[in-house]
Amino acid sequence: MAWFGRLWNVLRPSRLQRDLNRELSFHVLERTEELEAGGMNPEEAARMAQLQLGNYPLQVERTRDMDIQQGLEATLRNLRHAVRALAKAPGFTATVVATLALGIGANSAVFSAIYAVLLRPLPFPNADRLVTLSQLNPKMREPFVAPARLADWNRLNTTFQAITGYYSEDESELSGELPERLTRALVARRFLEVWGVAPQLGRDFTPLEEHFGGPPAVIISDRFWRRRFNADPNVIGKTLRFGTSRSGPQLVPIVGVMPASFQFPLREVDLWSPSPDDAFFAHGRELTWYSGVGRLKTGVTLAQARSNLAAVQAELGREFPKTDAQLSVEIEPLKDATIGAVRGSLWILFGSVSLLLLIACTNVAALLLSRAAARQQEISVRFSLGASRSSVVGHLLAEVFILAVSGAAVGLLLAGAAAAVFRSLAKDLPRIQEIALDWRIVFYSLACALIATLVCGLLPAIRGTRNALADSARGTRTTVSGGNRTQFVLTGVQVALAVTLLSGAGLLIRSLQQLGRVSPGFETEHILTFQVSNAWGETADMKAVVRRVHRILDTLQALPGVEAAATTYDLPGVPSDYQVELKADQGRAETEPKVIAEGRTVSPSYFAALGIPLLAGETCREEAGIYTMMVNRAFANAYFAGSSPVGHHLSQPDNLYIPSSVVRGVVGDARETGLDREPVPTVYWCFSPGQPGTRYLARTHGDPRSMSETIRRAVHQIEPLRSVYDVAPLADQISDAYSENRLRTILLAFFASAAILLACVGLYGTISYAVNLRKREVGLRLALGAMRSQVVRHFLTQGLLVSALGCLAGIAMALAFTRVLAGMLYGVSANDPATLAGVAIVVLSVSFLASLLPAVRAARLEPIEVLRDE
Amino acid sequence: MGTRKNDILQGTLVLLVLKTLASGRKMHGYAITSHIQRISENLLRVEEGSLYPALHRMEQDGWLRAEWGQTEKNRDARFYSLTAKGRKQLAQEQESWSRLTEGVARVLRGPLEVE
Repeated sequence: MAWFGRLWNVLRPSRLQRDLNRELSFHVLERTEELEAGGMNPEEAARMAQLQLGNYPLQVERTRDMDIQQGLEATLRNLRHAVRALAKAPGFTATVVATLALGIGANSAVFSAIYAVLLRPLPFPNADRLVTLSQLNPKMREPFVAPARLADWNRLNTTFQAITGYYSEDESELSGELPERLTRALVARRFLEVWGVAPQLGRDFTPLEEHFGGPPAVIISDRFWRRRFNADPNVIGKTLRFGTSRSGPQLVPIVGVMPASFQFPLREVDLWSPSPDDAFFAHGRELTWYSGVGRLKTGVTLAQARSNLAAVQAELGREFPKTDAQLSVEIEPLKDATIGAVRGSLWILFGSVSLLLLIACTNVAALLLSRAAARQQEISVRFSLGASRSSVVGHLLAEVFILAVSGAAVGLLLAGAAAAVFRSLAKDLPRIQEIALDWRIVFYSLACALIATLVCGLLPAIRGTRNALADSARGTRTTVSGGNRTQFVLTGVQVALAVTLLSGAGLLIRSLQQLGRVSPGFETEHILTFQVSNAWGETADMKAVVRRVHRILDTLQALPGVEAAATTYDLPGVPSDYQVELKADQGRAETEPKVIAEGRTVSPSYFAALGIPLLAGETCREEAGIYTMMVNRAFANAYFAGSSPVGHHLSQPDNLYIPSSVVRGVVGDARETGLDREPVPTVYWCFSPGQPGTRYLARTHGDPRSMSETIRRAVHQIEPLRSVYDVAPLADQISDAYSENRLRTILLAFFASAAILLACVGLYGTISYAVNLRKREVGLRLALGAMRSQVVRHFLTQGLLVSALGCLAGIAMALAFTRVLAGMLYGVSANDPATLAGVAIVVLSVSFLASLLPAVRAARLEPIEVLRDE
Repeated sequence: MGTRKNDILQGTLVLLVLKTLASGRKMHGYAITSHIQRISENLLRVEEGSLYPALHRMEQDGWLRAEWGQTEKNRDARFYSLTAKGRKQLAQEQESWSRLTEGVARVLRGPLEVE
């Protein structure tokens, strides 16, 4: 590769310089000797020789410039020639550019997602030092931390710059005509210090404001500032109106506006207010309030922080044995906690688009091989005119380079469009709004293009020139090229890669199908869900909360078109976990296994509203003085096998809020914890939940969506100071919970179809090429009486053989690789024979079509014309 | 230096080098200068300052091939030889040279015309 060598010269002139010095000093030496032989004294001779050569450094420079300039000229010439040659073959150019655009575009799009979500640091200063802290109880999953304990952690540790906490709730702002629902984060002291982010306007909270009973203050988000105040720079000091019916509205002044990039703890957060930890109700160590976050000191590792806080907690355990002895601290990098399970999906998608790009490159390589073969005569002529092999290879590579760069450019446009599609398809994924095309993505695409150039171009260029070299030596033109076999191999590889991808996509599609067929054990259609804003502070008076919930449920039930209404904390069918350990008050020996169950809190009307059947006993009611519960069949079978649990008392040893409850009945199994999970032993506490986050469920007669306005108005009438929000059919809520699943499936299916399409184009191209090469032979055979069906069968068999071998290899690869999907599959195994067989059938039938067209064309050849052509 | 020296016309250096190498022998730069000087019986002198840039340019154009080798005195030198392309180039240059000299000669021989 001459141009490459020259590029090297430009970048590293020293090698060239050394060579030149050697060459010129040889000259000087010879001249000196000649002059000496003529009788000059050695010193004089050396001086003269040098003089004759002229200015030595200038000489070196001029010669070197010549080389570099020549190199650039040659490269430009190559590129110019390539553009001209490509313009003469628009069909070929378009096919290759489109193929590469698809491969590079899809790859860049997924890479932009990977970069935004996984690789880029979170948008906070030194975000790698941010961690989440939660408390773990061996008996119960309860990550939230008591204010007192959080303060202890912050005071006693030596590894953190600061530790803080927050929780969020929905709030109604009352300045407007209707209450507006806002999302408020209540934050412990040191909140902004931990993030290392200052308000873009105004200030942080003062210590006075962080005290219980101190002056009210609120910091608002950039989003809210723009929405409500139209980005008014004089917003500081303006007030918001909050309040519940009981205490009357309260005016809260705005003291600061956060920058747009600060969206914590939720993307849609509107406000931050202080959560005073010195309030009289905040002292209990058994409280579960805060999600903890902390910033590590510079240079502290995760392991050091973990062991430090473990020691701190052990000390607290000795000081407060009753509440703290059982607890341990879990610390996780904030980024991992934010990204969660998306990581696996994204890497799988990236793997698949890389396969797609590889298929695209293979396809282009095969196309280039045909082109090189078709141009053998031209290449031979170049050789016979004295072109060096490297210059011809350079010329061919220039062509591929132009194709790859054009492909990358079109691919970038595709990736830009794809990023928009991504954002709308997967709006619930973490950090998805950060996906954007920037120079890194452009750079990445160009790198893809460069690699594609080498992968696609080098083999055909070397092969093409080798054949041509041999030809020019022999002076003849080959009719059957050795490249033909390589092309079939490349096609087989494409089919194999496509089959691998399609198998993965097939498995995901089958899982989604299975998930759709699942009978969840509860009604999903005709259920409308929504929330009504309320604050944690109101739960101080639980009686009032329960009264309010009852009033709303009664109102709903009275509405025409609503058949039943209920409340729950967790939407059924949406993945969630709340594992509790229970103790039966009698009837179970201590030696029997622990009673572990999923715990859910629902209103008694829940079972009727969702159509969960009663199997034994009676449906619970809210009874004065007694706590009641229901259990499901799985629970009864697991822990009360043979006897009825009805009438037994179950208690949760560590929970002070829910005393021992009596089991009133057994209900059918429902997939409460997620559609994709088998029903687990579950207990339902029967009292109308009313805390922030409570979901209202209304079973409607017709389409649930059509009832949403009626319901909103009815609730507004009895609760004018609260906002109704998050109104959506239950089916939509469940489907949103699986949106990542669906997105993954859609994308993989799309990539797999693209891969199959490319493989077919490749197969079609290869068979067409084979037909072209053997035109003369086919013509002869036909002239000698061969049947046209024989010709068709011949080429068809060739195509099918290649794709069948590709299929076999692909299925072998699929068996090895689909294991990575195992955790994402539902209802099918990672090597489900039906799926693999289906994939093979699909691929073989499309490759049948792709080979049939050129085969039939071969059979239609008119022998006389072909023979006359030669 | 007492001898009269004839600097080689710009552009003819290439022709001379090509012709020198047309024998098929591989020669280094110094040998090329001495050859031109000897054959022209000292009428022509290669300006050494322009020889090497010219050699490199011709190599880049694909007319010459260069490789490192050893002289009889066991010194490392860069040897140049003619490629097929260079041979073709020589034919072209020779032809245009003779046309040029012929043209110049005719002008010099021709009558002085006054308009």
